[in-house]
Amino acid sequence: MAGILIPFLIFTPWLTAILVWFISDKHEEGLHQFASAGAILSAILSLLLLSQIGDSTISFAKIGPLFGNLSFSTDALGIILACIANCIGSLTVIFSAEYMKHEKSLARYYSMVLLFIGAMSGLVLTANIFMIFFFWEITALCSYQLISFYNDDPNAVRGGLKALFITQFGGIGLMVAGLLIFGYTNSFEIGRFIQAAQGGEIPANVLGIIGFTLIIAATAKSAQFPFFTWLPDAMEAPTPVSALIHAATMVNAGVYLLCRFFPALEAIPGWKMTILILGLITILISSLMAIFATDLKRVLAYSTVSQLGYMFAAIGAGSVLACQFHLLSHAIFKALLFLCAGAIIHSCGTRDMYKMGGFFKKIPFISVTFIIGSLALAGIPILNGFWSKELILESIHSGTPIIIYILMLFSVILTALYTIRCVWLVFFGEPRSDLHVHDAPFLMALPLGILSLGTITSWLVFEPFSRSLSNSLPLYGIPKETLSELVSKIFWDPYTFLALGMVAIGILVWFLRNKLPLHNSITRKIESISLNSFGFEAINNGVVNGINAASEAIRNIQTGSLNWNIFGMLIGLICILIALMIGGL
Amino acid sequence: MNTLVIIAIVSLIAIGFYCLIITRNILKIIVALQVLVKGAMIAMILAGKLTDQMELAQSMAITIIVADTIVAVIGLAMSIQLREKTGTCDIHSISKLKR
Repeated sequence: MAGILIPFLIFTPWLTAILVWFISDKHEEGLHQFASAGAILSAILSLLLLSQIGDSTISFAKIGPLFGNLSFSTDALGIILACIANCIGSLTVIFSAEYMKHEKSLARYYSMVLLFIGAMSGLVLTANIFMIFFFWEITALCSYQLISFYNDDPNAVRGGLKALFITQFGGIGLMVAGLLIFGYTNSFEIGRFIQAAQGGEIPANVLGIIGFTLIIAATAKSAQFPFFTWLPDAMEAPTPVSALIHAATMVNAGVYLLCRFFPALEAIPGWKMTILILGLITILISSLMAIFATDLKRVLAYSTVSQLGYMFAAIGAGSVLACQFHLLSHAIFKALLFLCAGAIIHSCGTRDMYKMGGFFKKIPFISVTFIIGSLALAGIPILNGFWSKELILESIHSGTPIIIYILMLFSVILTALYTIRCVWLVFFGEPRSDLHVHDAPFLMALPLGILSLGTITSWLVFEPFSRSLSNSLPLYGIPKETLSELVSKIFWDPYTFLALGMVAIGILVWFLRNKLPLHNSITRKIESISLNSFGFEAINNGVVNGINAASEAIRNIQTGSLNWNIFGMLIGLICILIALMIGGL
Repeated sequence: MNTLVIIAIVSLIAIGFYCLIITRNILKIIVALQVLVKGAMIAMILAGKLTDQMELAQSMAITIIVADTIVAVIGLAMSIQLREKTGTCDIHSISKLKR
């Protein structure tokens, strides 16, 4: 059964993408309906696939000794992520029908979104590193195309190129790791690699290189320190795309990669600690930047970066279960927040939070759904973000030095602070300009309603979630916990109330902001550093300018003249011959 | 015998490279490429003989002939187009690279 569902899951969106391309922009209504139908069909297929979770691997075709088998695994790690990608994908496509109404080049938009959904399913379901690389690059391509969707806007084009280049570092890391794995195990199969790594067949130093190149791949794709600068600039994309690709699915691919290889690499000395520290630095930096950002979508982008940092920290603390559970919660509530932001931006036409204010009375439905999402983000009981975040904090408390736990608690304050600031600036207070806003039409309200329902209830699936992960991934050592165990563990833990206290402090800081001595030189200094993204923007620009200068400098050797090129080739050939002769002597 | 073949290979390749370096005429470039590739093909056959893998050498030679013919056909078609569109066979005159 799974052998039929998996190819259908990948090819349904892809075939729809091709058909949508052929429908072309002339039939706008048809485009919306067709794309929605394809996306909903693939969402249904992915839900059917949930019943097929097991620990088997399905091989379709042997594509020669070099590339290994075209194989897919049916464990919970991949299937749950494929389900998230397809379900949230279908909701964003439905949302787009209203949001992208009367835009130009809709065929391109829908084809790219559907191509992305299919590629994401393939990326998480395949059990072959070569295929992971293939799908990984397709998602990068779609992300670039969709960020630069408004291609007459120079900011959008720049943001797209930046995302493409920075995530390519991740592609290079993945490629190096894949080739090393192939070199030492003679196979691209992940299962074979995990077996070889645990059996000590791969030398420890090579395993170390594989582990750390995979960290580079994951940090670049998941926008972690030091590669996080591309995600805020990716917010030039249409908002449904930001919700789907840059919040709920593609940025999780890095986290997924680390989880997938976790049993093979966890024994490498310093590997988990590196991930933990990278995650922690990312959380602190991005939370500070979120506190000072003024653009609504950028605040959400920074919060995505910081929540991905939580997932990294959970992997670093050794808890794949907490990481995956937070991934599920985060995908739901962040998609909700982005779609709400999209509805707000769609109706008022600006992204600047300082021009909003007092929207609660004007757009009650969007306000309520947005506030549900932000409460989950801040970690307020009993929304899904609370449970998964407490699970991560608990695993960090029990598995790592106490200083890291203290820093995590500090980040909880920052999260609560930027969340309440964002909610307050948009929905409460006096209106700061006379923007006209209207509540969401039905096609926008439907995804918002479904997602806010999911935000409130998705933690109830914890029991089947942990059971399926634990049964289908025997090598990962994932504990099997019931819902009542989770509830009692979290509610009887005094540290939970410590974390809730931190959330309260964050909220109090916002309300007492005028009474606290916050306007001094230190906070102003932090603000200016944060607005310059801690100097990383300067580093990026430096790299770009350096490459430009270098290519300008070596332009002279690109004569475009055949004679000189042949001459160069001949010189190169002679050098190789001389080297071979010296080597032969 | 082998020495003679090696001399033939080296001279064919040398003639091909020499032509490619000095000429600007697209027809002469195609001829030079043909000469160069024929040298490479004979080298391939010699290598097959020396390592006792004549079957491999044979299949490589046939592949080279096919690929080489395609290069010649497309090159000649392009040179006709070049002549019709620009009235010249000089490849330098059509270069648009910034210098």
